[in-house]
Amino acid sequence: MNENLQHRIRARLLKVLHFVTLFIAMAIICVPGLWVVLNSFRPTVEIMAKPPVWIPNELNLDNYRAMFGAAGEGGVPVLQYFTNSLIISVTSTAIAILIGMAGGYAFARYRFKGKSGIFIGLMLTRAVPGVSLSLPLFIVMAKTGLIDTHLGLILVYVALNVPFTIWLIDGFFRQVPIDLAEAAEIDGCTRWQAFWRVEFPVARAGVASAGIFAFLTSWNEYALASQLTRSTFSKTMPVGLRDFTSEFTINWGGMTALAVLMIIPALILTFLVQKHLIAGLTFGGVKG
Amino acid sequence: MAQVHLRNVVKKYGAVQVVHGIDLEIQDNEFVVLVGPSGCGKSTTLRMIAGLEAISEGEVSIGDRVVNDLPPRHRNISMVFQNYALYPHMTVRENLGFSLKIAKRPQAEIDKAVDEAAQILSLADYMDRKPGALSGGQRQRVAMGRAIVRHPEVFLFDEPLSNLDAKLRTQMRTEIKKLHQKVKSTIVYVTHDQVEAMTLADRIVIMRDGHIEQVGTPLDVFETPANTFVATFIGSPPMNLLPGTVSGDRLALTDGPVVPLPPQFAGNVAEGQEIILGLRADNLMPVGHTMPMEGAYAEFDMTVNLSEPLGTETLLFGSLAGREVQAKMLSPRPVKDGERLRFQLDLTRCHLFDAKTQQSLR
Amino acid sequence: MSRFRPPAWFVLLLPAIIILAAVVLVPLILSFYSSFTPYKLTRPETLYKWIGTFNYEKAMKSAHFWAAFGRTVLLLTIALNLEMLMGLGLALLVNKVTYGQRALRTIMMFPMMFSPVLVGFQFKFIFNDNVGLVNNALQSLGLTDRAIPWLVDGQLAFIAILTAEMWSATSVFAILILAGLFAVPRDPIEAAKVDGCTPWQSFRHITLPYVMPFIYIALAIRSLDVARAYDIVQIMTNGGPARRTELLWTLIGRTGYVDAKMGYANAMGYISIFLAIIFTVYFFRKLNAARSELGMAG
Ligand SMILES: Nc1ncnc2c1ncn2[C@@H]1O[C@H](COP(=O)(O)OP(=O)(O)O)[C@@H](O)[C@H]1O
Ligand SMILES: [Mg+2]
Repeated sequence: MNENLQHRIRARLLKVLHFVTLFIAMAIICVPGLWVVLNSFRPTVEIMAKPPVWIPNELNLDNYRAMFGAAGEGGVPVLQYFTNSLIISVTSTAIAILIGMAGGYAFARYRFKGKSGIFIGLMLTRAVPGVSLSLPLFIVMAKTGLIDTHLGLILVYVALNVPFTIWLIDGFFRQVPIDLAEAAEIDGCTRWQAFWRVEFPVARAGVASAGIFAFLTSWNEYALASQLTRSTFSKTMPVGLRDFTSEFTINWGGMTALAVLMIIPALILTFLVQKHLIAGLTFGGVKG
Repeated sequence: MAQVHLRNVVKKYGAVQVVHGIDLEIQDNEFVVLVGPSGCGKSTTLRMIAGLEAISEGEVSIGDRVVNDLPPRHRNISMVFQNYALYPHMTVRENLGFSLKIAKRPQAEIDKAVDEAAQILSLADYMDRKPGALSGGQRQRVAMGRAIVRHPEVFLFDEPLSNLDAKLRTQMRTEIKKLHQKVKSTIVYVTHDQVEAMTLADRIVIMRDGHIEQVGTPLDVFETPANTFVATFIGSPPMNLLPGTVSGDRLALTDGPVVPLPPQFAGNVAEGQEIILGLRADNLMPVGHTMPMEGAYAEFDMTVNLSEPLGTETLLFGSLAGREVQAKMLSPRPVKDGERLRFQLDLTRCHLFDAKTQQSLR
Repeated sequence: MSRFRPPAWFVLLLPAIIILAAVVLVPLILSFYSSFTPYKLTRPETLYKWIGTFNYEKAMKSAHFWAAFGRTVLLLTIALNLEMLMGLGLALLVNKVTYGQRALRTIMMFPMMFSPVLVGFQFKFIFNDNVGLVNNALQSLGLTDRAIPWLVDGQLAFIAILTAEMWSATSVFAILILAGLFAVPRDPIEAAKVDGCTPWQSFRHITLPYVMPFIYIALAIRSLDVARAYDIVQIMTNGGPARRTELLWTLIGRTGYVDAKMGYANAMGYISIFLAIIFTVYFFRKLNAARSELGMAG
């Protein structure tokens, strides 16, 4: 019985340790984000107070009111940035998904020479650091007049997202048994019909999550956007965040409010697809 | 010395109780088979013995140690899993030697034990393959080899043969039996297959819904089933069960013939009692196809709906008292569907159960 | 019509190839060319002057370049390794939870939704020496009464950047490794327990080999966009003060856009591209090796 007791006590201790570590880890993950959200409801004076004000004296919507106000806080046209971000992200995602679906299907269903080489080649285009790519892109776009336009950034984001979209969608189509499409073809469908009627619906959840992944990438991208946009008409929100900084000061209150505006759509979308997202990434990767 | 004792062992998953207080004493070197329909709690019970599942209530001891809170590695057991559970990234040799390597035994000793196990299970030709490159039967043998390498006090088997095809299953069954004779140790073996249970066990434990229904030697449970569940579960084809009522020294089968009350039950029933007559196909044969019957027997007519010739015997499906009944015909002749035959039933070898409790009236 | 029909896979891949060629390949060729010229944004005619490998030689001889290069490799190596270890730890912690695991997984994905710029600003604020969360907390707890110059001192700034980078990327590892842990069959783990393994031994001998491919997937995915760290660094320190946190990427950005020396910046850009490609290819190869180890390939 002594032996049993010893093991029981050890199991208890481990459980407590597990709980404590987990709690600390989760706290570290949450605190910086929650701090941003909390600060968006506080006046800048209080955020910057010295000595610090730990327990907020007043919470209000001033930052948000200013942000959406006619003039915009400090003249930052937040709504315009939001619209720009939305147009650019949605359009580029839609196109990337179409292209990615074609490419992913090709990788999942056809055998051809140099397949893995082409695959890695496509992936490597994603590995090019944004800054390094932005230099020549800047030159090309300046020449073609695409700089500072929605179209320019949309094209860039499509290219940025296609490799990953292919990876994800390839994984999802591979999970759809090939017999399904073959059965549909025997039942009289053309290959095209078989795809849209049978294979696509099965992989739809996966395609959706690939789309959301692409959307998030465009929504959050900064390195390229910061160089390829100049004016209010094409600046996206990540770039817009910098409008709150001036030479020596930062308007934290205004910035945190914009940050919250950026996070909310991302938050909702990610939660919608988290399960499929993980499945797609790992399946595509593990089953080679 | 490794007896295994279970005292009032209970398993609960949250509010759901799946094992309801099991008491069982397994002797040293005994081969005990837990059998029952799937979902009845056999694996759960076995896994509580192994330490893979926490014990909610009660006590499990191995040898003379209570092991309730001990992790599997302190229980000196080994286990063969239904899906073999081989380590896919290790060769057969590494799989076999893994437990000894973990125990930090000297390499020479590991090699010796592994070769010995490979010898017993004729695995020598596959030692450097990975499990992925083995057939089902070979994987099965590796799984068993891995268990015997450790020389544990207790072997636990969880449906080890259920993934093999019929022929291989019969073959491996024999090998397991031989293995037990060779490496004397206590074995607890789980299966849902009553044939496996009957052929392997020293003692059978029949379980249903988390309860033990009967414990006994294979012959015991076949000859004297404790209730209708055991009666139908053990033996093939399953025992025929016919409801009826006691009337004097006779049994009136519901909507069927009246037969004499089997003499061995005479003192155990009351007038008007609702009973169930249990009758194996072997004891119900067309007249002229039976061994000569001594003692009590009854005769009646029955229409044969279907016959299944099996060679040395033919199974006959008739209906009696509104129920399908299976009978047997030795020294077969062709039987036409719908043919009416006279049958003879051996009352000395039949069973009687109380209709309410379903328990044997013996 | 009947003369030549390209295979279906090619037609399907064509749009992807076209867009990547137009947006990535062509500019890269241009930048490769311009890395052999003294191209300055302010003087377009310099694009046509060939100066051979001058820019590359200049980079090779530049102490600033090598400092930034070394710092980048150091940051990547430390960050990827720590993220991997912490991600593994976090995944193991969460995997053990039976009740409320969904909620924890959701929380775990939190940092993934934050734009790297935002992470940069967030941690710039948190590590602010005057009003930042870290210094405020340390001072309120009485651990120090100084204002620790987190973003000014070179080494401290490196730590601050590393912290921000790890906050933002550890959860990618944790999520993917957790998916790997879910895929580990229960049977071999139980067999290992019965075979006498301690929890550590069954992790080491059974779980880890299974999870390895997932770790490499995470590393491959991460190495595809390690340059995201640029956003964070650019905001937090922009390589400063006085180049003390200069990374390859901030150096390239400043040389190209602030100093307008496009040719030179492109030469260094190429070096950074090769660095990224080496990391990526390395992890893809490791992934393949780990897969075939488990017999998962094909
Ligand atoms: N983790 C679990 N949570 C809840 N119920 C379980 C769990 N594992 C098994 N059960 C239930 O316990 C019962 C017994 O299962 P098991 O012992 O595996 O049956 P078997 O006799 O087929 O081996 C089944 O009804 C099963 O649904
Ligand atoms: Mg079972």
